[in-house]
Amino acid sequence: MKLTRLFLVALSASLFVSCSNDDDNNDPKGVYDNGFFILNEGNSDGGSVSFASDDLTNFTADIYKTVNGSDFAGVYLQNIFFDGDRAYIIAGGSNVINVVNRYTFKLIAKVETGLAAPRYGVVKDGKAYVTNANTYSYINPATGDTDDYIAIIDLATNKVESKIELGATANRILLENNKLYITDSSNDKVLVVNPATKALETPVTIGYDGDSMEVKDGVLYVLRAPYGSNRSEIVKVKLSDKSVTKITFPESLDRAGYLDIYDDKIYYTSNKSVYAITTTATAASTTAIATASLPAGGSIYGFAVNDDKIYIADGGDFGSNSKAYIYNLSGSLQKELTVGVGPNGFYFNN
Amino acid sequence: MTLKKLFAFYLLLLCQIMSAQSDSITKLKTVVVSDSNLKKYSASQSVLKLNDSVINKNEALLTDLLNFNSSIYFKEYGRGMLSTVAFRGTTSSQTAVIWNGININSQMNGSTDFNTISGSDYNSVSVKAGGGSVIYGSGAVGGTVHLNNDLSFYKRFENNLKLDYGSFNTIGINYKTNISNEKWSAQIGFSKNSSTNDYKYLNQYTWKGEQRWNQNGQYDVFTMSANLGYKFDTKNSLKLYSQTSNTDRNTSLITETETKSKYVNGFNRNLLEYDGDFGKFKTNFKTAYIFENYQYYADNSTNQYTFGKTESFITKADLGYTLFKSTQINGILDYNRTKGFGSGFGDNTREISSAALLVKQDFSKDWKNEFGIRKEFTDNYKSPVLFSLGSSYQFGKLYNLKLNLSRNFRIPTFNDLYWEEGGNPNLKPESSYQAEIGNVFTYKNISLTQTFYYIKITDLLRWVPGNGGIWTPQNTDKVNTYGTETLLSWKKQYGKNYFGANATYAYTVSKDIETDKQLFFVPFNKVTAAVSYSRNNISAYYQFLYNGFVYTQADNDPNKIVDAYMVSNIGIDYDFKFLDSFKLGFQVLNLWNENYESLENRPMPGRNFNMYLNLKF
Repeated sequence: MKLTRLFLVALSASLFVSCSNDDDNNDPKGVYDNGFFILNEGNSDGGSVSFASDDLTNFTADIYKTVNGSDFAGVYLQNIFFDGDRAYIIAGGSNVINVVNRYTFKLIAKVETGLAAPRYGVVKDGKAYVTNANTYSYINPATGDTDDYIAIIDLATNKVESKIELGATANRILLENNKLYITDSSNDKVLVVNPATKALETPVTIGYDGDSMEVKDGVLYVLRAPYGSNRSEIVKVKLSDKSVTKITFPESLDRAGYLDIYDDKIYYTSNKSVYAITTTATAASTTAIATASLPAGGSIYGFAVNDDKIYIADGGDFGSNSKAYIYNLSGSLQKELTVGVGPNGFYFNN
Repeated sequence: MTLKKLFAFYLLLLCQIMSAQSDSITKLKTVVVSDSNLKKYSASQSVLKLNDSVINKNEALLTDLLNFNSSIYFKEYGRGMLSTVAFRGTTSSQTAVIWNGININSQMNGSTDFNTISGSDYNSVSVKAGGGSVIYGSGAVGGTVHLNNDLSFYKRFENNLKLDYGSFNTIGINYKTNISNEKWSAQIGFSKNSSTNDYKYLNQYTWKGEQRWNQNGQYDVFTMSANLGYKFDTKNSLKLYSQTSNTDRNTSLITETETKSKYVNGFNRNLLEYDGDFGKFKTNFKTAYIFENYQYYADNSTNQYTFGKTESFITKADLGYTLFKSTQINGILDYNRTKGFGSGFGDNTREISSAALLVKQDFSKDWKNEFGIRKEFTDNYKSPVLFSLGSSYQFGKLYNLKLNLSRNFRIPTFNDLYWEEGGNPNLKPESSYQAEIGNVFTYKNISLTQTFYYIKITDLLRWVPGNGGIWTPQNTDKVNTYGTETLLSWKKQYGKNYFGANATYAYTVSKDIETDKQLFFVPFNKVTAAVSYSRNNISAYYQFLYNGFVYTQADNDPNKIVDAYMVSNIGIDYDFKFLDSFKLGFQVLNLWNENYESLENRPMPGRNFNMYLNLKF
């Protein structure tokens, strides 16, 4: 008896030890561990994915091609989302999602049916929820603005198992506290979907041209950047009661670009500059903490703040390889990387 | 009898020789050419004329004919799909396509899709290298491609039927009849070329290991033509050219999963022409109505589409006067009104008038000079004064030196000016200066033309992403283009054996002045070659094309290129001598099964076959 008990203790201890060993183990799980991906949208000839290590010493311009050879990732790469050790690369122009191992980038499968101009995805409980723009109103005036949907993908089979019709346009998607939140620039609302019931809940009206968003401490922050004489805004939605407050930007920050929250600070872009305010601030800052020296015609097309660094992608001319710029939080340039055509996002793989 | 034989001999072997040499054909019988200025004002430039015997040896659509027989570079979005050109390193809207003397480049996008044109609808297709805006207007920067219907005025009733059947269910039905006497001439015909175009991609498999093939690539190109001529007397004649065409094409997929789309486009062209020949004084009046339209179905399972159409009304008066025996003058007035309507660019009309003066002076049989000047008048853009200056001198029998200097332009299109959103109404035309030296060597049966050219292009239009992500065209780029073109032709008869050989070589450097990079989709090297042999009823030929690599990006990323490729075709036909001619032919296309692409991710077919029956009666 005692022996058995002792044995059990020993066994569980050893398990514990080995487990914690695993957790502390920083050995990379593949060539592309401990770094970040830069997604290059590409033009009609197809997109690519670049990789840089966290310390910025290793860089590969086109890892999808490097690993998967002649397989074609698709046209207009829009978004990457992760689940476990897999990465899902959405090719909006090809109606396909490439499923790869996030550490080796080796192709595992493709989601090839049930998608129509897929945009962004999130994962919950073994299922991916991917927004689909479906048809556009300039081609299909009748239903182009109301036929967007969420494709629910069973990640065990990599097949679309069902759809949630949204009756509106949809683009970016975020999961928070078992609810899906969706923005789109030509929709004046944040859509709210309960994935458990697949039901649309009462949306939150924020105004048109809402785009990037993030949740922090129960508050959804959405950056909206209207055209014309309307000022840009950060709209704060308190998710518990869906009440809305706003930080309206001065005219000098018109057509704001992207928003990212990092360490209790909201970072946002306007033109070629990055600004920061605390999450409790009530007014916008007009003092740039970093300004990208992009070539003529360049514009910020991808943006992130992570690991005490600011990541900026220059959209470029969409016909040539463009660049990603990495700054520290005080705005000094750390690295310049020549990536692919039309880089539009950074995805951290740690 | 001998004349007829000689004629047949020429037909057989006169592949792509310079126009100067094809004179002997046209002089045999009374044939009225539709575009007299092409011959009259091209002494100082090189013109490659492809007559119907060459046209019949090539695949039906114009891309193949010109790709295998001229130095023009083609970018094809898969077999039979959208096909655009780069001539002398210029852009696709800097090569003007001229139908019986009228510029027919699209008013919407400025270029011509060479896979919507069937070569057999014309009596000849000529390729004139170099600037020609003084005569042909916008887009004649890199060169011009001339589609000509020539009406004959002699007693004749002749039918020509060509039936093709080839791989991928490729079917061609091309028929033309010529009915004429000394007063009347009619040429009526139609062509229908279609293919399911479902060829396999060589050595390409999906991630699941399935063979990849060309999906959604079917096309159907249909054209009807009717050309009529009437001679009132020796001085006055009237001609009517009319053509209607419809191209119904799906767009081949680059991934199996993408939405299948379809592009339908068509045109209707009518040209009424009066010729008056009063000795020293000659007149030519043209009135043309040209209609073009397209419908793009982003998803061809639905009936939803975007569209565009334009209607152009053109009048042209060309008054010619022979000043002295050696000097001819032409004054040309031109008015063009184009109305465009489309889902992308609204409803707009533009009017352009122009005046031009052309002078041709032959100091002697050996020394010919040309001079031309043209100015356009329009509210839409500031138009530069265009000119052309040329000289040709024949040194003995062996050597002909040609010099030409010109200023040419390309005007902004409806898309450039009016696209919603992004169209820029304040654009300038693209403008270019061009200089060339041509050396033509003729020795016995060999003709060698070597041309060096230099083109300086400014205000090149480029769509750039602007504020708020809206793309807009700007006159941003400056480009220097220079290179050489070599045309070689040879023919020889040994007893009953007739041999012919032709080759072209183009070396092209086309650099953006600011970045010093080669323009994308301009190959440094392109070679074509053809040899033909015939004896009695049999004729055979071999064609070869080498296309050097092209960059696909403006930054010349060495990883982003379309690889060089070599493609060969071989063909043989036998004339059973029923009727006037009854030829049964067989062709192997892409003989060596080259795995190649004209554009990245758009593979072309491997070895494939074609059979044809060519009847004359």
